[in-house]
Amino acid sequence: MNLRKQITQFLAFAYIFTGAYMTWRALGIIANTHSPIVVVLTGSMEPAFQRGDVLFLWNRHKINNVGDVVVYETSTKDIPIVHRVLREHHNPNKQYVLTKGDNNLVDDLSLYGRKKNYLTQDDIIGTVYGYVPKVGYITILLTENQYFRFGIFGLMALSSLFQSE
Amino acid sequence: MFNLVSRAQAVSNHVLTCSMILGALVAISSLIQLYSNNVWGLNNSIENIKANASLKNSFQYGSKNGKPKENSIIKFDLETDLSSLFNWNTKQVFVYLTAEYPGKSEESYNKVTYWDKIITNKEDAKIKLSNQRAKYSVWDVEDSFRSRIANLTLEWNVQPHIGPLIYGKTVTKTPFTFAEVKTKKTTNNQ
Repeated sequence: MNLRKQITQFLAFAYIFTGAYMTWRALGIIANTHSPIVVVLTGSMEPAFQRGDVLFLWNRHKINNVGDVVVYETSTKDIPIVHRVLREHHNPNKQYVLTKGDNNLVDDLSLYGRKKNYLTQDDIIGTVYGYVPKVGYITILLTENQYFRFGIFGLMALSSLFQSE
Repeated sequence: MFNLVSRAQAVSNHVLTCSMILGALVAISSLIQLYSNNVWGLNNSIENIKANASLKNSFQYGSKNGKPKENSIIKFDLETDLSSLFNWNTKQVFVYLTAEYPGKSEESYNKVTYWDKIITNKEDAKIKLSNQRAKYSVWDVEDSFRSRIANLTLEWNVQPHIGPLIYGKTVTKTPFTFAEVKTKKTTNNQ
């Protein structure tokens, strides 16, 4: 067994992971949000966004306009929601926003939780400005389909075995 | 050096780079086309606006703590042609009719949506509506709209197959005055 080779390989992997993590964090700092790239998980914005589409977020503006697509988190759901701004009311200090999914019949009032009639800036993760279709489906497969997940892990293990020859 | 894995890696890298460049080219070309079609100067006509107001008691209509809330609804005629928004990178056009109006203080600002539509093909992009009822019953953050004057604008958002989301509005603004709630009886028959 060649220990030096194993360590070099491990280092190469570590480089890839840290590189990806640093890019992610740098994007987050530039866009001022904790998740600068999100994957759509529900169909409430169809046909604009389908499951697995990748969205790029921006969170450096103070005001969201009506018609902007925003990603927000609430206490009632554990996944971030991607919906369009239906109404906005603001003054220089504060903005109230009501959202709705294009494909939904009613607005999001019932999603906001008890005694909450509007979203404020703190709830919003970012505004969607860019879009790439379908690429994010791989993360949905990884998290929701265990066969795919173990398949990928198995392939990785196998390839590392063959590579070390 | 030239084992299966490294070959596969080289191929997938090449595919990735090529598709990224292709995607960028598609996005840029569609932007150029939108600019050359002058889509930020499209016209509309909104006429015959009939505003109405009523008091609603449901949470779904903005009522809080059992206090009735003033809701506004309008009927309108609309005519516009958005077909120049469609090119080979247009997945859908989301078109929405907004009303903007001032708030209590000088600096505050409100904007609400009365009506919207998803358009997915060019043939449907010529819109002609008469006496169309608003899709949404609208309430304000304040208790009442206080008969203020609002400006109606038709705005659009182009959702591309790949690339940036593009926003714009038609140039004409049409003012109308919020209706007042008719007295007494309307509260009972909600």
